[in-house]
Amino acid sequence: MDAATTERPGVRAGKRPARRFADNERQMAIWFLLPSIVYVVALVAVPFFLAIGFAFSDVTAGDPSFQWAGLRTFERALDDPVFWRSLRNTFVFTVVSMALIVVLGKVLANILVADFRGKWLVRFLVLLPWTTPVALSAVAWLWMLDSVFSPIDWVLRNLGLIDGNIYWLGRPQLAMASVIAVHVWRLVPLSAVIILAGLVAIPNDIQEAARVDGAGFWRRMFEVTIPLTLPVVAVAALFGAILTFTDMTVVYVLTRGGPNHATQVLASWAFIRGIEGGDVAQGAAVALFLFPLLLAAAIAILRAVRRMEVL
Amino acid sequence: MADSGSRPDRLWTPDRRQFLRAVGVAGMGAAIAACSSEPGGGGPGGGQEAAGQAPSVSFTEPRTKLSGDLKILLWSHFVPSHDQWFRPFAQDWGKKVGVNVTVDHIDNAQIPTRIAAEIQAGQGHDVIQYIAPLSQFEPSTLDLKDITDEATKRWGQQLELSKQSSFNPATGRYYAYSPGWVPDPGDYRVSLWQGVGLPNGPSTWDELLQGGTEIKKSKGTQLGIGMSQEIDSNMAGRALMWSYGASVQDENEQVVINSEETVAAVEFMTKLFKQAMTDEVFSWNAASNNQGLVAGKLSYILNSISAWRTAQGANPDVANDVGFVPALRGPADARAAQHVLYNWIIPKHAANPDAAKEFLLYYTENFASATWHSKLYDFPAWAERVPQLDGWLAKDPYGANPADKLAFLKDATSWSTNIGYPGPSNTAIGEVFGTFVIPNMFASAARGEASPKEAVARAEAQIKPIFEKWRKRGLVGGT
Repeated sequence: MDAATTERPGVRAGKRPARRFADNERQMAIWFLLPSIVYVVALVAVPFFLAIGFAFSDVTAGDPSFQWAGLRTFERALDDPVFWRSLRNTFVFTVVSMALIVVLGKVLANILVADFRGKWLVRFLVLLPWTTPVALSAVAWLWMLDSVFSPIDWVLRNLGLIDGNIYWLGRPQLAMASVIAVHVWRLVPLSAVIILAGLVAIPNDIQEAARVDGAGFWRRMFEVTIPLTLPVVAVAALFGAILTFTDMTVVYVLTRGGPNHATQVLASWAFIRGIEGGDVAQGAAVALFLFPLLLAAAIAILRAVRRMEVL
Repeated sequence: MADSGSRPDRLWTPDRRQFLRAVGVAGMGAAIAACSSEPGGGGPGGGQEAAGQAPSVSFTEPRTKLSGDLKILLWSHFVPSHDQWFRPFAQDWGKKVGVNVTVDHIDNAQIPTRIAAEIQAGQGHDVIQYIAPLSQFEPSTLDLKDITDEATKRWGQQLELSKQSSFNPATGRYYAYSPGWVPDPGDYRVSLWQGVGLPNGPSTWDELLQGGTEIKKSKGTQLGIGMSQEIDSNMAGRALMWSYGASVQDENEQVVINSEETVAAVEFMTKLFKQAMTDEVFSWNAASNNQGLVAGKLSYILNSISAWRTAQGANPDVANDVGFVPALRGPADARAAQHVLYNWIIPKHAANPDAAKEFLLYYTENFASATWHSKLYDFPAWAERVPQLDGWLAKDPYGANPADKLAFLKDATSWSTNIGYPGPSNTAIGEVFGTFVIPNMFASAARGEASPKEAVARAEAQIKPIFEKWRKRGLVGGT
């Protein structure tokens, strides 16, 4: 008894600060948010402001000393025809990829939401492209699309559909189509998982009520499922757009922007100009053109998320 | 044992964990097998059979007392046996002189990015090697005139193309130290060229066009000269331009690309593409030469000897059927760019520059070992350091068939030059090289996206601002 009475206050005293902390939502919120804030500041905000600084300077890869250059780097970037071609390619790349990512993501989500044998295995395989490091999967695709040894060409040749080689990465339109296809392959799983979350959240009784009222698959799809999942689809579309717009890995590994800049995008051109060409200031100026468009996309994402909350 | 004995007929039925483990082991096995089939991995040309004849290592005491750490960064050599030799070679030197040596190898394409990052951070490796001129980093590198002069004092005159690729006449500084280089001959399939009456391969660009066209028509085998955003395409385009008397700059570092000679070179390349090549050349990468030659899919490539060394191990029949020719002659000249040009820089932030400089002298002193362990890939900038070279080329110690296949490389210095020829490899030339203006100029005309004249004018419009920019910073000469 004595021991129990002497222990209890000690235990309480030991737990008190932890309990106080656990009960203080404000403090907890700060601590839980801190890693995200550090991450965003260190890996997004600092490089972003550094890029702004570089874009108005004459910093080169070999000379990090900062000297004010005003708008000169922007003028040089705008005078360069490769910049305009990269800008146009970036839009084509993003718009086509985004449309395909959403449509195929929706189709995949519909498949994954159904019950069937081996569902876990299918989900695992479907997620693989997204979980595989992008550089690794892009190198695998580089082999798949090789001008001489492409297994895709080999299959088509053996089926009697083609005679020689297709030269996926050697012809401008095919190269752009290949880059888009690889990007879509990589991002569709992410889109599918996001849309899947929306599909699962639709109450069963709504679907059943529609079914009882005689609505078929397509009618339920267009009049129940899609309207109810629209905010989630918007989020998937915008994630797809941002991840496509800012990506340079797929382009860099597959084509390095070729043939003759036919697949050059702003992100890859900024890298080639800034690092491989040594003109960091101009690379930063090219990269900054991504900012207003990304800002608009970010605002749209936040608004879509808000609409979801309201719903 | 007991399990297998009690259930001999039962098939292996793994649980999920066993299955994943087996898949992982199989994947690792495949990866190891793939790595072991890289150039020089084994077989003829593998190097083991010739190891007994390797040159002995000589040692000269450093000029100053050394201590501390020395961090070295260099490329992963195309011939892996070089890297197997280099690490113990460098570390043994460190033990002798009291320096702790660390050696890091990375893919050559990553090195400029890594240097830029280290310079921005103000810390990193003490000495860094790359395979092309690093003129863009001049403001952040030490002037290496002292060790270049010391090497010249010890071993005689430095090869001119190495000097032109490490010395900036506009600033009077050696932004890099250049102890070696690699020639860039033409590799051709003897059996295919025999069939068109050229058993010794083409000797001019016109013969390349005629023979290549005939081979493509009769055998369906194309030429492989890249017009893509990669290093080999950069070299090939320049070789053709020089052979036509064209160049990006003149000896006074003035832009002269927009000339009749360049237009003629672009017209020729367009014809060569249409008659003897395929769209493959627009997706060319650093491995395309090797893959195409080893698989017997190309009749002619511009490359070092590494593609053929790969074939020695992977496809000996093709290797025996490969011959070499020096730079092809055009209307004005017969000249090729170096395939690889070794540039070693010591960044200003290097913690141990004295050790870095002494190591570079030691490395140069033993360049015969570098040549040997790279299977005659690396050539010296100070010829005196590899007196055995002509003998090795005359009788290849790594199993060439015929043994004198590489003998033509004895006079490779007479037809090889630096990428800025006839001027130095200055910073502007480096940026033009790094942004692939020349391969894209050829590609746009070959694809029919621009006439040869337009393609050259567009290239000039890209090149001139680059020269003006660097000239304003005092890194490029002329006005």
